[in-house]
Amino acid sequence: MPLLKIRNIESYYGPIMAIKGVSLDIEEGSIVTILGANGAGKTTILKTISGVLEPEKGTIEFQDERIDGISPADIVRRGIVHVPEGREVFDDLTVRENLMMGSYLRKDRLGIKNDVEMVCDYFPILRERTNQLAGYMSGGEQQMLAMARALMARPKLMLLDEPSLGLSPALMNDIFHIVRRINSEQKTTILLVEQNARMALALAQFGYVLDLGRFVMENTCEELKENEDVKEFYLGVKEATVRDTKRWKRKKKWR
Amino acid sequence: MAIIEREKLHELRNAGIDTIPRLFRHRVKVWADNVVMREKDLGLWQEITWAEYGQKARYVAAALLELGLQNGDRVAIISENCPEWLYSDQGILAAGGVTVGIYTTDSAKQVEYVVDNCGAKFYLAEDEEQLDKILEVRERVPSLEKIIVFDMKGLRDFKDDMVISFDDLLEMGQKADEKDPGLYDKHVDSCKAEELAILIYTSGTTGPPKGAMLSHFNIMEAVFVLFEVEPPEDDLIDEILTFLPLCHVAERNVSGFGPLATGTIINFAESMATVPQDIREVSPTFYFAVPRIWEKFYSTMMLRMKDSTSLEKLAFKWALGAGQKVADYRLRGESPPFAINAMFKLGHRFVLNNIKKSIGLDRVRFCLSGAAPISPDLLRFYYSLGIDMREVYGQTESAGVATMHYKNRVKFGTIGENAPNVDIKIAEDGEILMKGPTVFMGYYGNEAKTAETVVDGWLYTGDVGKIDEDGHVIILDRKKDIIITAGGKNITPSEIENQLKFSPYINDSVVIGDQRKYLTALIMIDEENVMEYAQEQRVPFTTFASLTRTKEITKLIEKEVEAVNKNFARVETIKKFRLIDILLTTDDDEITPTGKLKRNFVNEKFKDLIDTMY
Repeated sequence: MPLLKIRNIESYYGPIMAIKGVSLDIEEGSIVTILGANGAGKTTILKTISGVLEPEKGTIEFQDERIDGISPADIVRRGIVHVPEGREVFDDLTVRENLMMGSYLRKDRLGIKNDVEMVCDYFPILRERTNQLAGYMSGGEQQMLAMARALMARPKLMLLDEPSLGLSPALMNDIFHIVRRINSEQKTTILLVEQNARMALALAQFGYVLDLGRFVMENTCEELKENEDVKEFYLGVKEATVRDTKRWKRKKKWR
Repeated sequence: MAIIEREKLHELRNAGIDTIPRLFRHRVKVWADNVVMREKDLGLWQEITWAEYGQKARYVAAALLELGLQNGDRVAIISENCPEWLYSDQGILAAGGVTVGIYTTDSAKQVEYVVDNCGAKFYLAEDEEQLDKILEVRERVPSLEKIIVFDMKGLRDFKDDMVISFDDLLEMGQKADEKDPGLYDKHVDSCKAEELAILIYTSGTTGPPKGAMLSHFNIMEAVFVLFEVEPPEDDLIDEILTFLPLCHVAERNVSGFGPLATGTIINFAESMATVPQDIREVSPTFYFAVPRIWEKFYSTMMLRMKDSTSLEKLAFKWALGAGQKVADYRLRGESPPFAINAMFKLGHRFVLNNIKKSIGLDRVRFCLSGAAPISPDLLRFYYSLGIDMREVYGQTESAGVATMHYKNRVKFGTIGENAPNVDIKIAEDGEILMKGPTVFMGYYGNEAKTAETVVDGWLYTGDVGKIDEDGHVIILDRKKDIIITAGGKNITPSEIENQLKFSPYINDSVVIGDQRKYLTALIMIDEENVMEYAQEQRVPFTTFASLTRTKEITKLIEKEVEAVNKNFARVETIKKFRLIDILLTTDDDEITPTGKLKRNFVNEKFKDLIDTMY
């Protein structure tokens, strides 16, 4: 039984249909990734799952219960947390206060206390900066804080939107290792949306390619890595050409 | 709009105008300030006059001569439709060259084949992408001397002795023209009607493509016959939208050479993807398209109606019903009774016209379908909307025109009557033969094939058919496509395929059954419409492939197949079918540039899938 089951969702931004019928299964304990160009609708899918956007059509089931149409807070309560693109930490709160915001819906004080320790083990820098305002932290530190804050809700499913955006390669590497650890140690299921397809495919077991609001490919990441289109359009592998400055791209075929 | 004088072919010939370059020069002089093309630039339609067209063509001619073009040399053009295509075409012909169009979807290997087969000296490429194809293979094409690129975007730092830009070509031409102003006229005057003008490579569903040779004489006959059968009124200058490939004989006639006869204004679609918007903006007065496009329009309209309110649906049904009645009278050659006509007028004004407007067909004087078989029901549908819809039949080897529907003598299910300059007869084995001034000169460098195709002046069309009691020609199928089942029954698959395609959910199909016990079909579903159906019915799917594997979609297509089966005798029914689970594009070998499935390629590629049905 998949942990999350999405069926035929369509979501709009005003009159623009951003997702045109997407169905997706996520197995418990897995890491699944969605690849796609800018504007393909990846973020919209995450927003629709976390309840920020309501789907016009279609259903979303989490642990066999419908969650489409219920409030984002209820969705968090059920165990889905969303780490949005661009971190969105609370700038005027301290690191500690930010973490507490993550556990806002929880009542178990002891558990919360232990979890603060736990996330600080994953992200030691947060321990050093406990009392610093989040707004004064670097982009990488903010990303870590956003993920730590999400972990504080003890999610069963974590939606990660572009965690590597704007980070140095070294920091990117750290983040990805931590994602892998969280997945294996905390058994948190992860849905990852990433522009850095190389990383995403290395991390996830299964991947979907989204194009103009629809899935055009689905496969294990092993297979996707070998696919011609994925290679050319996402991994930047270029066919050798007669000139060295090839600018045009062949048509995508997705097969 | 000014009244423009359009001479008939014989009048022009009497005045010594019997080749394309002479006709072009004449039009440029007389129609100088009239608009001939419009192209969208940064969202605005920019106009190009005949004078400008003439000047650019003149410079192209002068430059190619300067670069060493000799009479009869072949020049290849590989580009989407754009003004430069037409400037070059006219320039090449004026200089005494032979234009060879190549499909932009061709691979480097296919480009190599065509360029080498015709021994092209020059290669005119749209952009970087088309340039790369020839660069990859140029070592193997010894005839090639110069490459000219229309759009130099991304090539600023690229230096190659063989490559120049189109702008440089024009500049070179201008200088050459200023130095020797009589050069252009000298070459135009020396061109002869019987000489080879263009090569059209047939997209042939079997074997490598063959270059069909058409003379100036062939083209003049083909272009004028259509115009003389259907002359526009004196004060009307037709507007057309061009987006089908100019290297195809039909589009070349309509938007390449046709305007030389009629003064029609050519509007270039921005891209294939924007065609629906472009058509609405242009609202053409004459519209030629391949069945694929007519099918697409039809399903767009049908699906839009599905999303409308029940009142709108009712109104549409009523108006279309009235339209059908009027169409039936008209097709029988009778005028409809007053009451029915009044009903249709009302329905047309309030319902049908809006639908026509929404697809940009509200101004058309008449429409033509050609280049592939189309379902008569589809033609009847357009007729019911109040659109004067006709079919034209021809092949590259007959310069595109052999038969057509004449005004008020339209009979669907037939391909019309022979063109005024064409004779048609049926051979003993049923093959349609034609004779006339449009019969081509032969295949370039392939005398054996030419001798098989033209015998005693009769062109063997490869189509099997008959002529009915009114002189209308009926096509049964391609001769080589006829299926003989294991039971010995002759079956014409295209009839069945066309009915299948009429379903909005089916894009194309191939019926199989030669030497087999029963008929089966491979079906290519319509991506957009089937996905929409799946969404409505909440059928979960991820990709196109997964969609074709769902039970519900198989059911949906099964229903469509069953509906078609009802129209056929038992031996002609489809017993099993399979859905093609990859989304084929025009880049694929299985599809022609006009979007038809190629039977042979499909049979080969999906052999395993076909075998599962037997």
